[in-house]
Formats: sequence, structure tokens, C-alpha cells
Amino acid sequence: MSRPLLEVDHLVMNYTTEKGDVSAIQDVSFTLYEGEALGLVGESGCGKTSIAMSLLGLAADNARFDEGEIRLDGTNLLALTPDQMRQRRWNDISMVFQGAMNAWNPVYKVGDQIREAMDLHFRPRLSSREVEARIAKLFELVGLNPAMINRYPHEFSGGMRQRAIIAMALSCDPKIIIADEPTTALDVIVQDQILQELKAIQADLGMSIIYISHDIAVIAEVTDKIGVMYAGKLVELGPTKEVFARPKHPYAYLLLSSTPSVTGPRRKLAPLEGEPPDLLNPPTGCRFHPRCPYATERCSTEEPPITDIDSGHQVACWNWQEVPELGGLTK
Amino acid sequence: MTQPLLKVENLSKLFPVAKGFLRTPTDFIHAVDGINFEIQPGESLGLVGESGCGKSTTGRMLVKLMEASSGQILMSDKTQTEDLIDIANIPREDMKRFRRRVQMIFQDPYESMNPRRTVFETVSEPLTVQNIGSLKEREERVSEMLRLVGLSPPDAFLFRYPHELSGGQRQRVAIARALVLDPSFVVADEPTSMLDVSIRISIMDLMLKLADEFDVSYLYITHDLAVARYMCDRIAVMYLGKIVEIGDTEEILGNPQHPYTKALLSAVPVPDPTHVKEEVAILGGITKAINPPAECRFLARCPWAQDVCRTSDHPPLEDKGDGHYVACHLVESALARA
Repeated sequence: MSRPLLEVDHLVMNYTTEKGDVSAIQDVSFTLYEGEALGLVGESGCGKTSIAMSLLGLAADNARFDEGEIRLDGTNLLALTPDQMRQRRWNDISMVFQGAMNAWNPVYKVGDQIREAMDLHFRPRLSSREVEARIAKLFELVGLNPAMINRYPHEFSGGMRQRAIIAMALSCDPKIIIADEPTTALDVIVQDQILQELKAIQADLGMSIIYISHDIAVIAEVTDKIGVMYAGKLVELGPTKEVFARPKHPYAYLLLSSTPSVTGPRRKLAPLEGEPPDLLNPPTGCRFHPRCPYATERCSTEEPPITDIDSGHQVACWNWQEVPELGGLTK
Repeated sequence: MTQPLLKVENLSKLFPVAKGFLRTPTDFIHAVDGINFEIQPGESLGLVGESGCGKSTTGRMLVKLMEASSGQILMSDKTQTEDLIDIANIPREDMKRFRRRVQMIFQDPYESMNPRRTVFETVSEPLTVQNIGSLKEREERVSEMLRLVGLSPPDAFLFRYPHELSGGQRQRVAIARALVLDPSFVVADEPTSMLDVSIRISIMDLMLKLADEFDVSYLYITHDLAVARYMCDRIAVMYLGKIVEIGDTEEILGNPQHPYTKALLSAVPVPDPTHVKEEVAILGGITKAINPPAECRFLARCPWAQDVCRTSDHPPLEDKGDGHYVACHLVESALARA
């Protein structure tokens, strides 16, 4: 087993608002190992982006970390000063955001913008020729013609701009990349190309990646390990193949049962009743219990801890043994 | 053969590329370029393709939110059973009647509703415009619609404003609004793509259920083949303004013939980590069809292109058997095989 690189340990984070505290991350723990691809999946508002921002030290001003630690190579990132964190960002952890392709400054050349990031963050210092060579290499790595370095963002298509963003994320040789919905705004063929490329780059460079997506099909394709989030809680965590074959949290089970696919038998999908809860005022006990078909009385009062049910497969549910095998429904 | 509900013949839409003020445009984007298809009563057709392929433009032309540049859209009229009528020639005074038969559901439930109108005002507006019923009857009809789309009790929703509703609830209101006049044809343009996965299925199930109850046909526009599979009896795949393949859903997905369909299908992420991908590498990226050359639209990206593709015009849709039509020079036709 490779070395643990990033450990999120019982993290609790609330957003302070005028209406009260919004419980965005509630007691979330996971470990990212070297060279591993972890996927965090969940619906809007489940806290997956809040986790990404916390890992990068970019949480909103009203975010309050009440408990827990985020340890990178043993250092608690939450204890660092903003300046120390700035030095970690890009060098240790970098990011590819949703819609980042639209964040290029239109009046600077793409190459110059990557150079700027390297000037600010990259140690060792490189000569400008070395920087040039490195950017050219990065362009090749992400499937862009190095001749595009001196072009402006408007000369790139959407997919190319996103590739250039990935090149920028790789520019300082990070240990971890956080990819938050990296392909959401792209067409399916371009999405596929970029995901395959990210996967290949990750394998080549032995990097760790955290993918964040609402699309479990994307997560299925690119990750080794998956964490399913619901309403600020991590409800299931385990090897991707294991969780997809035997989801044991009712939410994960229903999410998988309600995802249409172009392969396999044409199934009747099971809808998830109700809507996600308001995190200003989260349900007591298990946060999923109001929508859960397997809920019992205990679920509305006692919060289930996340526990190991099989080697490395963790579930936070009192009644996980009631959850049936997948794929009983046929259209 | 029953009379189709809708018949589209050689439909095209060209958009001029602006060259500057007062200059006659010479370049045109061929957003929709001579497409043909039929929809039978009660059938749902999925129109699938990437952004910019012309699928939304097609949908808008069918509901007359946009005039066609050329071609015909023929629709059967429930009351006059004889002939199909060309919707371009509907006289002004009959337009209202046309609108009763054809409705649209839009993608973004946050933008398709007037924020200053209550749910009741939104859903009853079609009735008001069409002068149907008294206020009392309209109230009853709207309540019934809300119940049908799963917003019950209706009293709790009638006087709410869009901002007080979630995305899924708004889309339910949009569906109620589209179906309140009991139309026979609804264009649904990505109605679930803005919604969360868990909400998506309930909206799709609702649309399927109502299609049955109201005997309505959908033209279901989507970029997501998995969604099209769930919703549609047949699928038409569009690429740069052309339909390149059309046929029964399972046939298209199980036995895709056009290189573009194959590539699209192989690129769709599959929610199964054990699934082994069959990579179909196509070249380059999608472009815009500005004054496109006569050859096959897909030529520049097709990894299998032969001389015949370079020397002939864009291939017509040909029957490959069982109503599976493909527009590709390289796919043998059923006739040639026989």
C-alpha cells in the first residue's frame, strides 16, 4: 500500500450567515494515498465543493472550521497562516475548477498566464528559457500544440481552454490535483478526451487526484476510490468497483439506481422522493432519514457513525444490511 | 400506416453571419440543413447531438418560435382528420388554435418563468389567452394540473412565486403549463439537464406518465444519450445541422452505424467501473457549419473516410432495414445487401 498523502480527519465546517449556521461539512474523514484517484460525488449543496475549497485554503470568509484537521504529509493545513498556505497552493495542491476555461484573462496570452502562476509559486526558480520549455512540455502533455502558447484565450475552443487549465494546474508539479467538475460544461466527446487524458497523465506522473462531480458515471470511469456525500456528510466510502457493485448506504443505492445508462438492460429507474434538506436546519439523526425508504425510528434520533463493513468499505447507516442488491428493476 | 402527427420535410434554417452594419451578409451558418423526419401520434422522438448541432433550432421551428428558412413542417389537425397542414401557412386567426396543440418545455426552470407571477397565474395563462372557462373553472383546472404534476396539495402552491420553489418544483410547474391545454405535441428542450440527479428521474417519470395520460408526443431534445434512451421510442442523431442516423432507440444504441454515433456512444460515461470502453477516436473538434462544403459534414473528423466521401455530396439518409436510417457512404444499404 502506498503512503497516505492527505488526511481529512473528522472535519466540521459551518458557514456563518445572518440566518444562522449552515452545516456544510459534518464530521468528514477520508485519506488520499499517493497515486490514488478519489472521487467525491453528490448533488448540489452536499458539501463537495466546500471540501475542495477547504483543502485549498480557499474557503469563503464566513467559513468556520469547528473541528478536525486536514493533514498534508503530516502538516495540518488549517493551522497554517494564509501566507504559508499560499506557498502550498499550486506547489503541493493545485486545482482545475468547473468552468475554469472561462476564467482566462482575455487580454493576456495563455502561455503568459501560465508563466505568471509559475513565477508566483514554482520553486525551484527557472530561467525564462526553462519556463518556456516547461510550458511547451505541459502543452504536449495535455494534447495541445505548443505553438498555441503565444495565442490568446479566444483563439482556443472550450475543450482546448480546459486543457490549458490542466496544463496550468500541472505547471508547478503538484502532488495533488483537485478537479472540481472538470468537464461539466463540455460536450460529451471532448469530456471523454479530457478525462482519458487526465487519467493517463495521472498514471504517468504518479499524481493523486480528487475528482469532484455530480455525475457518478464520470466518477466510475476515472477513480479508484469513491466517497458519496449527502447534506454535508460522507455517507459511503470505498473502492469504486466495490461501491458500484454493492452500494450499502440507501442514498448511494438510490443514486445508482436512478442513473440512466446507455449500456446494460433498459431499466425502470427508481426515483428518489423528496428534496435535499436545508442545511441551516439539518434533520436530526441521520440527515437522509426523511427521504430514506429504510429508515427506522432510531434514524431520526441517533446519527449513524461511518463504520467499516468490509475492508475499506465504509457506510454511515444503521440499516445498511437492509439495502438490497442492485439491479432488480427491469423495464 | 397511420397518419403521422408531424412530418418534417427538407427543413433548413440559415443564420446570417454579421459582417457589419448595412452590409448584406454573404456567409450563413447552416444551423439546420435539410432534415426529414416523422413523429407518429403518441411517439417520443429523441433529438440528440452536441451543442451547436441544430437540435434546439429544430425544436424552436417546430413550435413556430422561429421561422424556417426553407422546407416544410406538416402537422395533422385533430379536428380536420384529412390532410396534414403546413404550419408556415396557418392564417393568423388560426394561430391560437395551433398553439393549443403544440407546446414547449424549456431547459432552464429559473428563466422560463415570470418571477412576478404566481404559480396560478403562470399555469392559467394559456387558458386565459385561449379564453377557456370561467375563472372558477380555470382554478379547478390549474389545481387538477398541479395535482397531476405532483404539486399537492395544490392550494399550497397556487399562490407561490417561482423564487419560493425548488428547481424540480419549477420544472413541474413548467410541465403543468405546457400540458394545461391538452396539446398533442410538446417540444421538450433539455428539461432535466439543470436538475440534480435525484430529481431528474422523478421529472422524467412524470413526463412519461403524462405522455400516456394526455396522449402527447414529445420531441425530446437532449445531449445525453442515456436520458434519451430512458425517454424515447426513437432517436435521431444530429451533427452540424444534419440528421446522420435515426431509428429505434435500442437499435441505435445497440447497433450504431454512423461513425459519429459510434464516437458519441463510446464517449458517454458509463456508471459502471467494470465497463470496458471501446474507444472510437474521431479527429479534431466540432466546428460551425458556415457555408459548409457539399461533402459529408463529418468528413473532416471521420477516421474511416474514403475517396467516395471526398468526391460525393453529403450522403442522404438511407434505410438500412427496420426503419434504421443512416447517412453514410460507407454503410451498406439494405438494398445493396439483399
